[in-house]
Amino acid sequence: MRLEELWEQLEARLATWGRTHSPWAVHFNSGSCNGCDIEILATITPRYDLERFGVKIQGSPRHADILVCTGPVTRQARERLLRIYEQMPSPKFVLAVGTCAISGGVFQGCYNVVGRVDAVIPVDMYVPGCPPRPEAIIDGILKLLEKAQAEGVAT
Amino acid sequence: MTALEQAQGLLAAWAQETRTPEAGRLDVVIAPEKLVAATTALFDARWGYLAGITGLDAPKSGQIEVLYHFCAGAYVLTLRIALAREKPSIASICSVIPAASMFERELAEMFGVAVVGTPDPSRLFLPDDWQDGVYPLRKDFAEEASHAE
Amino acid sequence: MPSERFVIPIGPQHPALKEPGHFEFSVEGERVTGATVRLGYAHRGIEKACEERNWVQSLYLLERICGICSHIHTTAYCLGVERLAGVEVPPRAQAIRVLIAELERVHSHLLWLGVAAHEAGFDTLFMYSWRDRETVMDVLEGLTGNRVNYSANVLGGVKYDLDEARAETIRKGVDYLEARTYYYLELVVHDPVFVQRTRGIGTVTREQAEWLGLVGPAARASNVARDLRVESPYAAYDLFPVQMVLETAGDLEARVSVRLKELFESYRVIRTILDKLPTGEIKGRMPKKVREGETVSRVEAPRGELFYFIKSNGTDKAERVKVRTPTLCNLAPMMTLAIGHQLADMPMLLAGVDPCFSCNDRSIVVRNAQEAETRWTWEQLRRYGIEVYKCKR
Repeated sequence: MRLEELWEQLEARLATWGRTHSPWAVHFNSGSCNGCDIEILATITPRYDLERFGVKIQGSPRHADILVCTGPVTRQARERLLRIYEQMPSPKFVLAVGTCAISGGVFQGCYNVVGRVDAVIPVDMYVPGCPPRPEAIIDGILKLLEKAQAEGVAT
Repeated sequence: MTALEQAQGLLAAWAQETRTPEAGRLDVVIAPEKLVAATTALFDARWGYLAGITGLDAPKSGQIEVLYHFCAGAYVLTLRIALAREKPSIASICSVIPAASMFERELAEMFGVAVVGTPDPSRLFLPDDWQDGVYPLRKDFAEEASHAE
Repeated sequence: MPSERFVIPIGPQHPALKEPGHFEFSVEGERVTGATVRLGYAHRGIEKACEERNWVQSLYLLERICGICSHIHTTAYCLGVERLAGVEVPPRAQAIRVLIAELERVHSHLLWLGVAAHEAGFDTLFMYSWRDRETVMDVLEGLTGNRVNYSANVLGGVKYDLDEARAETIRKGVDYLEARTYYYLELVVHDPVFVQRTRGIGTVTREQAEWLGLVGPAARASNVARDLRVESPYAAYDLFPVQMVLETAGDLEARVSVRLKELFESYRVIRTILDKLPTGEIKGRMPKKVREGETVSRVEAPRGELFYFIKSNGTDKAERVKVRTPTLCNLAPMMTLAIGHQLADMPMLLAGVDPCFSCNDRSIVVRNAQEAETRWTWEQLRRYGIEVYKCKR
């Protein structure tokens, strides 16, 4: 019995280590002005180079651990955002980038805007700014990973 | 002869009123049924290109005004057409200028102006679950009405 | 040839473009027979919101129509509202507007070069151009304090002034970028892999471009002389004129080189402005209410003509703000052109117009060849593939 418990513990720690050291991220723009999106793209370019932290931005939500959301959620994009979130395998994290994703920003009250991202899907980390600097986005992702590491993401 | 004088000459047969609101601009008021003929005259003379269609809602006068902006270099020619706010309808100019399709569909869904004969009347900007018959750029638009029951 | 085709849906979340657009290509084999795009994922209803906000609030809203060309949107809006209000804008402010607009064009074109290279499968060039783009981002940040939404325009003038020390750092940045642009221009016309993806692809003749209503670099690549900076100099373009850059080929390669060659014009204008910046105030007095009237404001955004129609009813709010963005003009013709091309060329063709969906905000284009399409199941597709290759053998 004792050995089995130990083995489980080791497995959980190994899974957490693996998951927080090379997470793949998927990006979705749910009605953003593009500002945050180009800054997210800038994080993977040579000056900022997010990949040195093991984070890779790639296309498919089915391969992703982190969903990076930008922009207020529009009525047309709402269902797509939900679908992408549901397509991601667990454990999964959501990073809301930019003022609009956090609160709706300047687009509050527009007729086609549902509102902030956490009104649609649960959000784990927020990066404020209009748009946030690439450094801030990297910091947000790393803080998210620290948090995940501390809490453990075995399941 | 400047480009605007030329345009004024081309449209003389249909112009109900001609105004020059700013330097380099000419507004020509025409009747709704003359739109296609006027557009064809401009197109045949290769006068500029269609830069956009603007709708203006004026509930006080009970009208929706539709503005067809044509640009040629620095000059802007605007065909102004007033429609009744109840059941507004206008002919499509896509047979003359195919690129107008997008603008006409925007006009139709934002102002509820029926564009007769536009090749693709489907929804352009608004979400799939938007309530039919609710037009966001009309002055009396209320957001609650746009949500389907 | 089977009359059925299958539809390849791409998006709205997809690896290539960072913005939501949903494309559906119907194909017969590898040949595209129909193309559809459903946007509207980024439609927020900004035109309506402008009627509910006052003139100053609308400025900050309109800046966020698009994060890539934020400055040009506010420039169009400010020029229009100032004309309506009859406000004199000091020449120094107008020159600074043009300076930032040209820096923005540099950042936008370099960004586009990177994205286009990425679509062509040339990721090294993507990394190179985005690394160099950081230089102009630094310059913009130093000048305005923000990398993307600079918020430099205010009604009546600009917010930020610059001194000789700042001018010197801008000159240094521009010198570096100019050298790099020569390198890129050399590369995109000589690199055999890149040329294969661009030369003779998506060709638009001059007649087609005029008829379809293309604007901006896409039109100029087909030898259509449309550039508002030259045709109708606004802000300070009459003091600092630019030369129009034209290409004749009309294919993707021409669209690449038009944009790169335009950069040299931008560098030259930036240097001239820095050398001959008019002295004086940077902001005029703007009334809270704007007198009744209508105006049309047209400016040359990095992607082409940006058209604003502004109507005031004499209060502190706009009666109507109409925005017609260049992508709306350029995307529909590209969907028409897609028909007959290889499926693999689609990303490049789309990137060729530099579509900006947040600008465009909206839109669905359907250009299908003839008969109605049917969707294939995976099994049908598999069987079709087997049949095709059997015949080939």
